[in-house]
Amino acid sequence: MPVSWDTPWASGGLGEVVRFPGQESGQGAHRISWTQFVGAMASVHESLYFNPMMTNGVVHANVFGIKDWVTPYKIAVLVLLNEMGRTGEGAVSLMERRRLNQLLLPLLQGPDITLSKLYKLIEESCPQLANSVQIRIKLMAEGELKDMEQFFDDLSDSFSGTEPEVHKTSVVGLFLRHMILAYSKLSFSQVFKLYTALQQYFQNGEKKTVEDADMELASREEGERKMEKEELDVSIREEEVSCSGPLSQKQAEFFLSQQASLLKNDETKALTPASLQKELNNLLKFNPDFAEAHYLSYLNNLRVQDVFSSTHSLLHYFDRLILTGAESKSNGEEGYGRSLRYAALNLAALHCRFGHYQQAELALQEAIRIAQESNDHVCLQHCLSWLYVLGQKRSDSYVLLEHSVKKAVHFGLPYLASLGIQSLVQQRAFAGKTANKLMDALKDSDLLHWKHSLSELIDISIAQKTAIWRLYGRSTMALQQAQMLLSMNSLESVNAGVQQNNTESFAVALCHLAELHAEQGCFAAASEVLKHLKERFPPNSQHAQLWMLCDQKIQFDRAMNDGKYHLADSLVTGITALNSIEGVYRKAVVLQAQNQMSEAHKLLQKLLIHCQRTRHTEMVISVLLSVAELYWRSSSPTIALPVLLQALALSKEYRLQHLASETVLNLAFAQLILGIPEQALSLLHMAIEPILADGAVLDKGRAMFLVAKCQVASAASCEPLKKAEALEAAIENLNEAKNYFAKVDCKEQIRDVVYFQARLYHTLGKTQERNRCAMLFRQLHQDLPFHGVPLINLL
Amino acid sequence: MAASSSIVSVAATASSVPVLPSSCDFSNLREIKKQLLLIAGLTRERGLLHSSKWSAELAFSLPALPLSELQPPPPITEEDAQDMDAYTLAKAYFDVKEYDRAAHFLHGCNSKKAYFLYMYSRYLSGEKKKDDETVDSLGPLEKGQVKNEALRELRVELSKKHQARELDGFGLYLYGVVLRKLDLVKEAIDVFVEATHVLPLHWGAWLELCNLITDKEMLKFLSLPDTWMKEFFLAHIYTELQLIEEALQKYQNLIDVGFSKSSYIVSQIAVAYHNIRDIDKALSIFNELRKQDPYRIENMDTFSNLLYVRSMKSELSYLAHNLCEIDKYRVETCCVIGNYYSLRSQHEKAALYFQRALKLNPRYLGAWTLMGHEYMEMKNTSAAIQAYRHAIEVNKRDYRAWYGLGQTYEILKMPFYCLYYYRRAHQLRPNDSRMLVALGECYEKLNQLVEAKKCYWRAYAVGDVEKMALVKLAKLHEQLTESEQAAQCYIKYIQDIYSCGEIVEHLEESTAFRYLAQYYFKCKLWDEASACAQKCCAFNDVQDPD
Repeated sequence: MPVSWDTPWASGGLGEVVRFPGQESGQGAHRISWTQFVGAMASVHESLYFNPMMTNGVVHANVFGIKDWVTPYKIAVLVLLNEMGRTGEGAVSLMERRRLNQLLLPLLQGPDITLSKLYKLIEESCPQLANSVQIRIKLMAEGELKDMEQFFDDLSDSFSGTEPEVHKTSVVGLFLRHMILAYSKLSFSQVFKLYTALQQYFQNGEKKTVEDADMELASREEGERKMEKEELDVSIREEEVSCSGPLSQKQAEFFLSQQASLLKNDETKALTPASLQKELNNLLKFNPDFAEAHYLSYLNNLRVQDVFSSTHSLLHYFDRLILTGAESKSNGEEGYGRSLRYAALNLAALHCRFGHYQQAELALQEAIRIAQESNDHVCLQHCLSWLYVLGQKRSDSYVLLEHSVKKAVHFGLPYLASLGIQSLVQQRAFAGKTANKLMDALKDSDLLHWKHSLSELIDISIAQKTAIWRLYGRSTMALQQAQMLLSMNSLESVNAGVQQNNTESFAVALCHLAELHAEQGCFAAASEVLKHLKERFPPNSQHAQLWMLCDQKIQFDRAMNDGKYHLADSLVTGITALNSIEGVYRKAVVLQAQNQMSEAHKLLQKLLIHCQRTRHTEMVISVLLSVAELYWRSSSPTIALPVLLQALALSKEYRLQHLASETVLNLAFAQLILGIPEQALSLLHMAIEPILADGAVLDKGRAMFLVAKCQVASAASCEPLKKAEALEAAIENLNEAKNYFAKVDCKEQIRDVVYFQARLYHTLGKTQERNRCAMLFRQLHQDLPFHGVPLINLL
Repeated sequence: MAASSSIVSVAATASSVPVLPSSCDFSNLREIKKQLLLIAGLTRERGLLHSSKWSAELAFSLPALPLSELQPPPPITEEDAQDMDAYTLAKAYFDVKEYDRAAHFLHGCNSKKAYFLYMYSRYLSGEKKKDDETVDSLGPLEKGQVKNEALRELRVELSKKHQARELDGFGLYLYGVVLRKLDLVKEAIDVFVEATHVLPLHWGAWLELCNLITDKEMLKFLSLPDTWMKEFFLAHIYTELQLIEEALQKYQNLIDVGFSKSSYIVSQIAVAYHNIRDIDKALSIFNELRKQDPYRIENMDTFSNLLYVRSMKSELSYLAHNLCEIDKYRVETCCVIGNYYSLRSQHEKAALYFQRALKLNPRYLGAWTLMGHEYMEMKNTSAAIQAYRHAIEVNKRDYRAWYGLGQTYEILKMPFYCLYYYRRAHQLRPNDSRMLVALGECYEKLNQLVEAKKCYWRAYAVGDVEKMALVKLAKLHEQLTESEQAAQCYIKYIQDIYSCGEIVEHLEESTAFRYLAQYYFKCKLWDEASACAQKCCAFNDVQDPD
């Protein structure tokens, strides 16, 4: 009976492999847009504030070309720098200086923080400096306007002298020069405004410290007023308080690129969708021309599967970008056209992600046409790989892919080339090419990856190897590869500190790991892995579907093992939601187990036709096996034979070892029923070795059980002495089978084994052992419902 | 008389009890006139110039009152008398836009009028400073952050008074404005509704309410006072929400009641006709309006749009010169001049004038869209996209900007890409055939003929303006060799054209007849075929012996 239960294991492997193009599409989209994104970031500097409307228009006439401007916080940082540069008495020690230097970069790049926070940060590295900075700022804020002016006048001194403290082109030097430039460009009223802002900033910081230190000090009246004000603050704009305020352009860019890379690599560490959107809205409110924010909002919307907002954001981004591309002199007309092409391409990617394949194709055609018109080979290359992703279902799509790889190598696009190779390998794996060729190809592309240090592709490659080994039914190799990927991660985090541990490849590898453990009966370990997956990829994140499916499948198999068919049936809906083909197959399996043969048969036939059309070989074989089982269960093993032979031929052709041995088991059983146990036994000898080496525990048990049955059957005609010997051997095998079944909790199988053993002992005249077995059988039989199928008729 | 005295009590003593000045009906026009004159005075005293202007205009359209009926000025209360000097001084300062100074001298005044002026000048001073600040803020990212600093304090003080129910109608109005400026839309709506209940005559409160209501559903759930002012409000908001039929109905009622001379109503009707693209009617009404009120500048941009659509060069030129003489630094004037240059194909100059209009008022939506059109004419697609995007930013519901964006991308040969924009435009104007035809064309280019057919059919069904949808549909059917349907479409098209009675030359008429002739020929309906063929002969371009 249970033949079909574990065929899905193999298709589990397939399921993961199929993911790869999807993953590739995901990665591809990120990549294409990513290059765009980075490029845009570079061009932003000259073009962001050069808005043709605004030149003749209304606002910020005098801030063109300034990337940065002075804020009170910046002044505080400047004071800190100034203090750090001071020599002579009170100079900071070497240790402290190192700590301060480490602190500086985040201070320069990060968003503005409050004064008290800044003090605290400085204090942690160098208490004495914090004190002097505090005093300086206090003096400046409580003094007069000329103090600030004097401060900026003195700033430029740090560059002078034969051995200046600050090098002009260093990070700090650039910052200083930016600040000096920005300050000198301020108009009179702006300077005054800055000064009042500084005072405000200082007072806010003071207020906080005062409040912390002593509430009593504040006079009663003042306290009341303050309370009132605070109350107002809370009531009017709660969100405004939580927001960190306006960011400078550099800070905004930093924020955007950081969040975008987090979204790509490690979603859980990024801000939650809602809060990220709030930040972005805030940013856009302050500067509607900041196009990159729209792009990030597109990525963010993609995360929550919001098709309307993401389309809106994407198009908005490109509308804006088209402007900046056109106006920046370096790109000229070329840049304008380029963004148009990529706009169409990104739209195609978007539709593809949401599964609107027809729309995606239309958009892609548009991108291709424009790219062809302007001779942009790089863009065409991207289009080609997308074309492959869209045309995957077609049989000739590998031609496209081969072209794509060749061209990509020619144009020096290593990323695209190796993505192509990986997809090609996958395609070939389905087409039944030998493993050594595939591994060779992967090895070659791995060389490329290491050379260009494309670490995410390395991850994908290893995950793919895991999947390929599983597809071929080599569980040990798969296990080893999956472990390798996971341990690579820990290695990398020590070395480079590159955070890339929540990508899809990891999810895939972990899912494989869980399934492999479950196959071997280590359910505790499997659920441990799943728990880990759940933590790493929370249910609403992008890759959560992977583990959800895996989890359901494991539960389903356990329920089937236990004979709890109603439980399995309830899981089917969940599986169908995640993978419809898998769901239909499992439904058929449940029906079969519940003896609803005609319904199961109908479903299986439909599924078979569908899978043959979509070239889903693995599923085809599984379905064929189920059909064969149906036949011999309805006592017509002769019809089952041709079906099984077909399955065997297919699995040999595609080198699916796991399914092949599965088929051999079925075949042997059919022969046993047909009364040629000798043939069955010799056939089994062929299959037993790979099953014991790589098969699941359940398979091992079934194989041993079958061997024992065949031994008994073939011994029937022998002379008594030999017969006894054969029966002894069979009992040994049965014991082994029983152990295997016990590992995966297959009570029904154990019952059958015990029954069989009892009969054998009876024949051998060993009454005591017989009674023990009979006792066991009776216990088990009382627990389990009886399905009315003759016991011996089950595999 | 009782009614009028009750207004006085509302305005002067400002009891917080809502008292209705009049019922909903228009039977007593004299009463209405009295109320209008009264409110014009009250608003003028408080520096609410636009409301005052509106009331005065409306009052002017009604017949004059005899001396006996004229209202005595409202009695001066004790409080008013106390604050009289401070008020007089402050009002003078206020009139010369020295708001801080006005507020300073009004500090501590108790009378309602002085208090309102005090708060109002503080508000205006904040607004003025905000505008000045935007020019030299500390950085572009701070741009959006510049805000009226006075708003928060005003809100606190007003909300206290509001809770104590000490605010009169004007105070409530100001409170609402402050709330709206702080983006507290829901609260603002509540306060404005309250303001209309307390003082229904104040048009400003109604107008603010108009700006805050975004759809018909919202309108349904408002509980508005049952006065004749409500009719004006409803008509206005129907125009805003593009419910033109209802709006025209309301305005017609108002005219029938006796407001036929009101230039406000006439201009609103003209705008409504413009919105439903009934160009001839709108033009004649505008011409009439110009005769009545030759120095009027409001709504003249709409008028110029109409002239532009009809390519009436001389009239547009006359209008432009005329307006330029009246006041050349008005947004409307700039727009008219921009349209004038655009019509003369001097697109650079046109764009320049639209930019000037934007300089005068950055939130003037129409100019952004028009500038986009100009850039399109100049083939500067990127600038056009930018301009349209700005227009959308100002008002997301501007269908012309969405449509313009779609057109731009269509010109860039990205038919799939522009679908999105046309769809947005179509969503905003579901019954506008132009968007549907544009959508259909895009689908046709993408070879999605089923969708294209649907679009054309729908465009015809909602009433095709350009009469092209049917021809396009017919051609599609022809392409798909669905000759039956194609012939049907051509027949409908010809019927349409003849029933319309326009003498405008339609290029496609000949093709239609030709196809029909061939079709009848195939169907062996010889009489019809020959009739059609004879019609064909009337056209030059199909006289080949096919």
